[in-house]
Amino acid sequence: MKIRFLEAPYDGEVKLCKDTLDYLKENNIKTIGLYASIQFAKQLNAVKEQLKNFNVITSQPDRTTEQHQLLGCDCFNGNLNLKENVDCFLYIGDGKFQPLALVYGQKDAKEFIPVVCNDPITNSMTLLYINHVQKIMKAYKASLMKFLTAKTIGIIVSVKQGQQQYKASKAIEAIYPDKQFYYFVDDDISFGQLENFPFVETWVNTACPRIGFDDQQQFSKGVINLSDALQANDLLSKASLMNTL
Amino acid sequence: MTYNQELEKAIVEIKESRAKRACIQLPDGMKPLAKEIVDALKTQTNAEIIIWLGSNFGACDIPLSLESLGIDLLLSWGHSSFRKKEGWS
Repeated sequence: MKIRFLEAPYDGEVKLCKDTLDYLKENNIKTIGLYASIQFAKQLNAVKEQLKNFNVITSQPDRTTEQHQLLGCDCFNGNLNLKENVDCFLYIGDGKFQPLALVYGQKDAKEFIPVVCNDPITNSMTLLYINHVQKIMKAYKASLMKFLTAKTIGIIVSVKQGQQQYKASKAIEAIYPDKQFYYFVDDDISFGQLENFPFVETWVNTACPRIGFDDQQQFSKGVINLSDALQANDLLSKASLMNTL
Repeated sequence: MTYNQELEKAIVEIKESRAKRACIQLPDGMKPLAKEIVDALKTQTNAEIIIWLGSNFGACDIPLSLESLGIDLLLSWGHSSFRKKEGWS
């Protein structure tokens, strides 16, 4: 079966609103990390012109096809491949799914870099801070602690082509030889089925990493993402935003 | 509607790939437009068009087993191709 992606680019004007420009000026922002959803990522010339007095940098995260493009799964520390430090992230697009990745991605950092969201459709600006995900981060930390003490772990593997991480998940067994791992496979994760496996003490998610964050409350026994499970001790012992919330 | 539906690209793709049965996968924001899109594609091509009911979280979220229904083309809106990488890191 052939697959054809249609990006549905935004048809309107893509520019920064006054509130965004005021924020950048009033907060003495010098270096900006500029990102966008695919609907806007190819039409940022006017935005760059508005930012000509700032140091604008960007990158192409591993799973994307365009410079500036941000995906919801770009929620890991260092995943952006940015070469310089930035004073703020500036996200161009509507909705909060993608820019929240920039917030989650800072959970292991010491200091938070503000995420400025500029929506060209509503011509408005909103700010995202770590406290927007404070409740989730506290639950996530508790899940990390639970994982370290648990003996019987359920590993969730997706059959979706883009999310299949069964092979990668096997690395966990060598790191935690005293734990027992049971592997569960699903398409869309069936949250209602989790309770039918009472021997599982806690879960490790290897499907979309946003499930580990956004759907934390769906897992009464807690869930963490695979990448964090592989370094759980280190993450809990370092000074980080997650550990200070 | 502020996003380009790219119907012309979809029509060309159906014709060039000679698809007989195509499935359209839409992000939630475009799902209300499914009738409009299907009607346009059916008018402009000879393909049968089926709508994917489920999720469309990203290019990583491609429906499985569509071939079992004889679907030979998937048109997925709202995303660019996904470069899969081993492990989430």
